[in-house]
This record gives sequence, C-alpha cells and structure tokens, in this order.
Amino acid sequence: MYRYDEFDHQLVAERVEQFRGQVERRVSGELSEDAFKPLRLMNGVYLQLHAYMLRVAIPYGTLSSRQLRKLAHIAREYDRGYGHFTTRQNIQYNWPALARIPDLLAELAEVEMHAIQTSGNCIRNVTSDQYAGAIADEIEDPRIISEIIRQWSTFHPEFSYLPRKFKIAVTGHAHDRAAIKLHDIGIVIVRNEAGEIGYEVHVGGGQGRTPFIAKKLAEFVPKDKLLAYLEAVMRVYNMLGRRDNSYKARIKILVHETGEEEMRKLVEAEFAQIDASKMLEVPQAEIDRITRYFEPPAFETLPAESAAFNKAQADDAGFAQWCRTNVVAHRQLGYSIVNISLKPIGGVPGDATDVQMEAIAELAEVYSFDELRVTHEQNLVLPHIRLDDLKAVYDRLVTHELATPNLGLISDAIACPGLDYCNLANARSIPLAQEISNRFADLDRQYDIGELKIKISGCINACGHHHVGHIGILGVDKKGTEFYQVSLGGSADEHASLGDITGRAFTEDTIVDAIETLVETYVGLRHADERFIETYRRVGLTPFKERLYAE
Amino acid sequence: MKNGIIGSNSEKFFMAQHSSKGARFQAVTANRLLDGEVVYLAADNSWTEVFSKAEIAEGPEAGEALLARAVPDGFEKQVLEPYLFEAIEDENTGFRPVSVREIIRAKGPTVRLDLGKQARRQAQG
Amino acid sequence: MPNSKKLIIDGAESSNIWHCFDDETPLAEAPAIISLARLQDEGAELVAAGKKLGVILRAGEKQGEDVHALKPFLDNLAVVAIEFPVYRNGRGYSAARILREQMGFRGEIRAVGEVLFDQWQFMHRCGINAFEVDADVSLEAFQEALDELSAAYQPAADPQRGILWRRHN
Repeated sequence: MYRYDEFDHQLVAERVEQFRGQVERRVSGELSEDAFKPLRLMNGVYLQLHAYMLRVAIPYGTLSSRQLRKLAHIAREYDRGYGHFTTRQNIQYNWPALARIPDLLAELAEVEMHAIQTSGNCIRNVTSDQYAGAIADEIEDPRIISEIIRQWSTFHPEFSYLPRKFKIAVTGHAHDRAAIKLHDIGIVIVRNEAGEIGYEVHVGGGQGRTPFIAKKLAEFVPKDKLLAYLEAVMRVYNMLGRRDNSYKARIKILVHETGEEEMRKLVEAEFAQIDASKMLEVPQAEIDRITRYFEPPAFETLPAESAAFNKAQADDAGFAQWCRTNVVAHRQLGYSIVNISLKPIGGVPGDATDVQMEAIAELAEVYSFDELRVTHEQNLVLPHIRLDDLKAVYDRLVTHELATPNLGLISDAIACPGLDYCNLANARSIPLAQEISNRFADLDRQYDIGELKIKISGCINACGHHHVGHIGILGVDKKGTEFYQVSLGGSADEHASLGDITGRAFTEDTIVDAIETLVETYVGLRHADERFIETYRRVGLTPFKERLYAE
Repeated sequence: MKNGIIGSNSEKFFMAQHSSKGARFQAVTANRLLDGEVVYLAADNSWTEVFSKAEIAEGPEAGEALLARAVPDGFEKQVLEPYLFEAIEDENTGFRPVSVREIIRAKGPTVRLDLGKQARRQAQG
Repeated sequence: MPNSKKLIIDGAESSNIWHCFDDETPLAEAPAIISLARLQDEGAELVAAGKKLGVILRAGEKQGEDVHALKPFLDNLAVVAIEFPVYRNGRGYSAARILREQMGFRGEIRAVGEVLFDQWQFMHRCGINAFEVDADVSLEAFQEALDELSAAYQPAADPQRGILWRRHN
C-alpha cells in the first residue's frame, strides 16, 4: 500500500501544528466559535449531541495493521474504547476532548493518517472497492488512481470552498461495490476497443433530500487526462453551482437543472482548455512510483483446492456457513477474501472495540500481507487469506465475536449514528437496526430470505443510504417523536436505483413488524432463487403496499 | 495576528428550535467547550452536567430571560450554542425533557447505557 | 474602500488609487472600478475617452458573473476585483485562475469582500495578487499566511510546482 514520502509527512505535520494553534486560540478565547467552527470542521471535528466527534479518513478504504493498531490505541487512550466505521470509509470517534485532538492527530500522522477534508465544502475522502487488488477480473487496481486523486485534491487551492461537499468514488471492476453512481463523481476504470485503459466518468449522483443517480458524462477519458477532466468538472461546478440554498448546492442539482447534455458541453469546453495546457498530466515516473506501492503481494503458488480447508468445512458446520456467506473468491489460486462482519446480531452496525481492532490487526499482519480494507457497508475485509489459513482466522474471529456469518443478509444493515449521537438526526437508527437484527436472528431464516440490504438513515441527509436500500428506512421527527418511513427497491450497485416510498410512516413500535410483513410478502411472491430486489423489480410496489397497509 | 474568519456573517451561531411556541416549561442547555459535555444553566448561572439541577423557566418571558442569562459576554469561553428546550412536569419524578433528542442528551446514547451521563449515575449508585 | 480595510499588492502595503462607482454615478477623474454591466454598456466609449478602467466581478449566491464576459475588454482593464461576498463563496478562485491561465490577464487581480487569513494562500495560488484585508492585518501576518503550507500537491496559477511533479524534477 502507499507510503508517505517527506512531502506527505511534512504537509500532514504542518496541518497538525496549524490546528494545534487554532485550538489553543479557541480555548484561550482569542478565537470565537464562529471563527473556529469552519477551522475545526476542516479537520474533521464536529460537535455532536454528547461530545465532539472526530472523523478520520481511511483513503480508498485501505489500512495496514500498524494503522489499525493506532486506531485501536486512539479509541482506548482518547475515546471510550471503540470506533465507528462509516459508509464513506472513515472511522469516527464519538467522545474526544477538544484540547486533546491535536495530540490525537499527531499520533495519527505517525502512521500516515489524518482527518484532513473529512468535513467542510471540499473534496472528501476518495473511496473505492474494498476488494481492490484481490478480486478477479479487475481491469486495474483502483487504488492507484485513487491515491493520485487523493493527492491532487488535498489542499486544492481552487476547490476548498465549493458550494457544498464533494465525494469521489472509484471502481476498477464491473461489479460496483463502491456505490459510484451515488457520488458527486463516480469513476469506473474501463478498457476501450483498442485495449487501452481509461475512465468512464459519472457525475451528479447523490442522496440526501433530493437523490439522483449519476449521469455518465464521459465514456472514456484517457489515463493521462483524468485529472484535467476532474478539474474541469470541479471548475464548472464551482462557478455554476448554487450557493443560495444548501439543499440545492450539490452538483447533482446543477446537473439536473442544467441538463445532462449541456453539462457535458460545459465540462468538455473547460476540459479542452485545461487539457491544452498539459499541466495536469502527471509524470509517468510518478504514476510508476505510486503503482509500485499497489503491486500484488508475494503470493505463494498454491493449488486451487486446500485439503485442510475442505476438511475443516466438513468438520465444522458453523465454519462452512461462514465461508459460504463471508468468504469471496480471490484472483489468486489458493487465496480468498474474508469479510469481517461488524454486524453481530443485535449489535451496533459498524462499531468495533479497541480489542477487536487489535485482534483484526494481528490477523492482517499474520495472514493477510499486513493489509485490511474498510467497506462502505460498514464491515472490514482481510483481502488476501490463504485457504489453508481460513479456519485459523475464523477461530480467532469467533473468539472476538467477529465471525457473524451474515454478509449481505437482512441483519447486515447499514445504519447511520442517528439520534443516539448525531446533532442533525431526527430519529434513532441504531436501535432499529438492532431490533431488526434480533427479530431475524435465526440464521436459517436469514439464509432462506437471501440477499436483502436494509439501509437506515436517521434524517433526510441520508448518511445511512436509505434511498438505495432494497428496504430503506428513514427516521423522521413529528413533534419530538420518532417515526419511520419505508422505501423499497433501491440499489447502490452497477444497476443503481432509488427506492419508492411505500406510504405513511410507522412508529417505533410498528416498524419492525412492517419490515417483517415486507419480507414475508417477498417470500410469498418470489420465483425460485429470485433475490428480494429482483422480485421487487418484477412485481413493483403495489403488492408490498397492499400487504403493508392492509387493515 | 491571525483572526481566522472572525466577522463571518454567514454562519451565525444557531439557536436550535427545540422548544415549541406553546411550551410552558423550558430550560437552557449547551455543550461545554473543552469536552463537548452536555450542560444546563443552573439557578446560580453556573453550568451543571445534570438536568435535575437545571433552572426551569415557566412561561415564554421567563424562558427568554433564562436564555439571556446564558449568553453573557465571554460565554463562548465555556460553552457552545446555548438554546432553550421544552421540559414537562411529571407528578412523581419531577421535570424531564419532552423530546427524544433532549432525553438522549440528558442521559446518553440509548444503545450504550454504559456511556454518557446515565453511566455515571449508575456508577454513583 | 472603507477605512477599516487596507490593500496589500504583491506583498506590499499599497494606497488604493481606485474608486468604485455604482452604475448611475458619472465617473470622476480618478481611475474607476465599475460593474460588469456598466463595462458592457459603456466600456467602449470609456476606453475611447482614455479612461483607466477596472471592473468588479460579483460572485452572487444563486449565480455569479461570468468571468468570460470580460474577454472583449481585457486589453483595457488594469484591475479585476473579484468579490468574495462571504468566505464560503469560493466562485472567485475559479474566476482568478481562468483570468490568469486561460485569458492571459496580467493586470491586478484583487480579492475584495470577506478576504480572511485562511484564504490568502489559496487565493494567491489561484493568481490573486492584491488583497483588500482588515486594516489591522500586519504584513508579517500576511506573509505568514502565504507560507502556511510549505508545498502543494497540484499546480495552479502560481509558479509553484506540484509535488506530484516535483518528485521527478
């Protein structure tokens, strides 16, 4: 994975010291809160309900064991012994004291991490496919261009005061695990007819109050021209994006109001200007330097089958089940990709304790070439595990309650922090995820239901991705009481779609029953192996709605 | 002299609307500058961590007067964003906040009873 | 320019010889900064009359004025003032870069409005060379702000080379 050079170290260190000075001036009273707020936000420090919250970037979701150990250390020494992995490949700490955050950031800098641009109206953490470099049929490891984008977008002088926040995601695989069509810019690495690698660029996706699927603005941007193309998109947005209404300020609204064709023309005109200057063509030597950091690790030559693995599955039904749900085929024979569910039955989605993080770090170090990934569905990944080692890894995960075999199932829900923590929330999300998880705790029942993505947001900002849940749940507030609105048929993959709202909202007491009704309706309607989303797309909203609101 | 963005007129610190117009009883809450802890304005104008020690104002005028007491010169050295919220009187247990949001702020996350004010109360027995 | 402001041009404190005129007031002898609308209406005759001209480009909330509209007048403009109505309205960063990098403007680009410490380095990188700042800002503080980050990853309108390029000479 990428390692900082002296420039990277220096800039992060300078930023830590700058923030240290700002915190000192705030605490002494020299800076007002008005003046300090945007400065702390630029360093990922929010004020939430009970305390400050710090959001730390995990660029394109890749971590080393050393970094995860540091995150565990921070959870223990600066927070309350846990961290929360988010849908944007960040980790959030819910309880840091303001005065200690500069020291915390200095510790992060030691392991080449930071909280820069994890908030504010700037280009946020670049996210990517958690299986990058491990999955078969990848056109190119998306982390190479993601790292180049990370550097280009860091402290960008022109794009640090955009109309609104800006999120970029990259995938190098036809099956989209990075929700690229729900991002301000989504990039798909593609190969053209001549066999050259380039980028398909989708612009103007997003969730929030007014969700949109991104429009494909460019079919093929050549490799050396991507930064110029991105800068063109950003410049058009910075100049023309609305600043009169924060709900209309995202690029999705600009694309919608301008129209796809006109937007494409504007971007292409700007791109022609920037491209002519050649100023954003990164030297090949630099691309090569960054590429080397993402070379495949030294895989052993192994047979496709592992006798030890086969025997362990035969001997241990729990292990076999976990392998079926949480383990994915690897590009390299004899290896596998392991998903670590952070969704124990009845647990808080995305939370991990310091002890769990250290255990996972050790597994990564011993078994996975020191590498880890974070997923936008709030789980973790050990990307390169030998089949021979799967049982040992599984046993360790079981010890730490990290082996729930539920990836992609109904209890593997996304949930934002909601009203238990968040200052913007209208309703709680986590307890709902927990209740659904408990209701469907029986794993056999979950396997029978099959793939079903539940996504829960505690307010219209949609951090819990409810618009793109197979079943989406949105918490709303009515006079200080929580209600939950349901939508169906959303999807965040390469066939992205937005959910349809079923109708009137449910109370805290009736929402879980409503979910169960929806699931039973699906089970009754499905053909053979049809997944929930496929059944929904075939039959539409009506049968679900009729059952849901039947007296 | 670094004065950052003093003078910004775009992001006036917001007085959140957590109190209905018809609220009979109200209290003032804020978050403490140094650690973000939820605090309430007490009768002696100090900030207390415990809701039961918050001063309760009856009627809209008393509420506004209470809020005015929360923002003397230099209040920002202690707390952030003070605002009024609605409380209700319960015959047996005294006052409590009305909204789910303020109940959660007064206690801690409902999903982690070992954290926040509720945990300290338990620890105290 | 109100008394509470001072002007820093190319790192030095400068007196402001320019006067801003609204669209109705007849122009006096002194060099004049006028609106884009007035420039478009009266620009040709003012230039013919030998006036020294500057223009202010307004950022607006819903929409900002289009920097490309200055193109016909560039040879006769000495100053383009770019408005930052609030620090968060960053349209002007793009306008400045387009002026410098695409339109070849070599005159003064002046940031006016909410022009604050944390913006100066980025503004400077985008090609802004004149800053209307609070009167109590010292030149030392200004210089300190311009040097706050010691390097930059990406190229912009200043001569600084991006780190992605510097690594390989």
